[in-house]
Amino acid sequence: MKRLRLFFIENAVVILFVILISIAIPASGLPGKFLLQEILTRLGRSSFLVIALLLPIMAGMGLNFGMVLGAMAGQIGLIFVMDWKIVGIPGLLLAMLISLPISILLGWLCGSIMNRAKGREMVTGFILGFFMNGVYMMFALYAMGSLIPVMNPELLLSRGYGIRNVVDLASVRQTLETFIPLKVAGLNIPVLSYLFIAAVSAFIVWFRKTKFGQDMRAVGQNRAVAGAAGIAVDRTRIIAVIISTVLAGFGQIIFLQNLGTINTTNSHEQIGLFSIATLLIGGASVTEASICNALIGVILFHLLFLVAPMAGKNLIGSAMLGEYFRQFVSYGVIALALVLYEWKRVAQDENSRARLRGGRTDVP
Amino acid sequence: MTLRSLIQRTGVVLGLLVLAACLFYIGKGHTLLLDTNTITIDGKEFRSLPSVTVSVDGKELDFPMSRAERVMVDVSGPEHTIVIADEADAEKKVEKNFTIPTFMDRVLVSIPAILGSAPAEYWIAPFTPDPVDHAPAEKMQYYKE
Repeated sequence: MKRLRLFFIENAVVILFVILISIAIPASGLPGKFLLQEILTRLGRSSFLVIALLLPIMAGMGLNFGMVLGAMAGQIGLIFVMDWKIVGIPGLLLAMLISLPISILLGWLCGSIMNRAKGREMVTGFILGFFMNGVYMMFALYAMGSLIPVMNPELLLSRGYGIRNVVDLASVRQTLETFIPLKVAGLNIPVLSYLFIAAVSAFIVWFRKTKFGQDMRAVGQNRAVAGAAGIAVDRTRIIAVIISTVLAGFGQIIFLQNLGTINTTNSHEQIGLFSIATLLIGGASVTEASICNALIGVILFHLLFLVAPMAGKNLIGSAMLGEYFRQFVSYGVIALALVLYEWKRVAQDENSRARLRGGRTDVP
Repeated sequence: MTLRSLIQRTGVVLGLLVLAACLFYIGKGHTLLLDTNTITIDGKEFRSLPSVTVSVDGKELDFPMSRAERVMVDVSGPEHTIVIADEADAEKKVEKNFTIPTFMDRVLVSIPAILGSAPAEYWIAPFTPDPVDHAPAEKMQYYKE
């Protein structure tokens, strides 16, 4: 009974979502093949971004809300590529290369600031995202076209400088999905996207086993002990954020090429909350996350995305209500996961104290 | 930072820059305007065939081109192959390779020049659209009564 209770507590968010989805799928009336195709596409679109969150969690920095900085860098790379008219796979790779130094710089900045706000990394990253959004806006809406030459007039606002609100990514749209065409049982498989995800997953697995990866885990478990063991704690934390920011930049490029357009002013804003909610829905916590959590999260989150409006329409008569409900549930899960984490932490502290006193230790 | 790590880091940065330059070169997109208008080179007139099928880099146009037509095709990279075949006579086929300078965005490709075996420098030319008359929409018009 105790084990069952623990299992439900540990996997409360995943179980809640599975229940919701199992009610919403039949209510939506959407065909299984359509759902499967959409999930395959969306798995290729979003997984990279979610996996980008894993390293800072390993380093004990919680969920990296600062990943929007990487997303901004990715968008800047894509805007340059669109301006220079670089098409296809070379265009995407060049966008990634352009985003790389920007992501490293922003990641270093983010990591340095987080080192000054130890224990409050998540809220710091969140607010840093707002701050950098202003800098990004100045770059995109003022510097591009005035200080930085933009050759393609179609990208510019009618006043002659600043990037338009929507940038069409026609020349790189769904390049990764169509580069290696593969159809299985009538379903299109985005092979190259999956290869990218496999590569980043392999990198994470390999990285965890390296000396530096072990150091990062040690820092995540206990900063004081890691510092006493001679690990450069601050440097390790900064590198974790830099890698996360770089991966977020690449992930944003993969995400946007699949959608086919950049919303210059707010594509990056949503991505932090979206990816963090996805990871939490997959069963991750603030201190522990795996690649499996990321992939399960993408599947569950997107299934709810797909079925909620239709389920809402069929059950309540309004697709909008279904969509509001989905937003309420999917973003409310962040609050739920944080509350559960805090509750578990307090309970564990209480448990340790009780154990020291020789009292009961059944608190999870 | 030791000298060794400085050299390694500089090497990585240079490698990335070279990679970026290569990606720019091979991925640069160009808009080709396949043109069947008559062209005069050194006093000699080159005319297209009444109807030709054209394929660029193995992709054939959906429809044959008649005389005095322009069709837009998007390509990427500098090296391209064009195959022009006479609609009336399938045996009559011309296959040529041409190179587009990296910074030439819109390129006019003269089908008659390629068909007539004119010198290669006349096959392609930069395309500059005619200037559009400025009609400043933002400017309010005031009429005095």
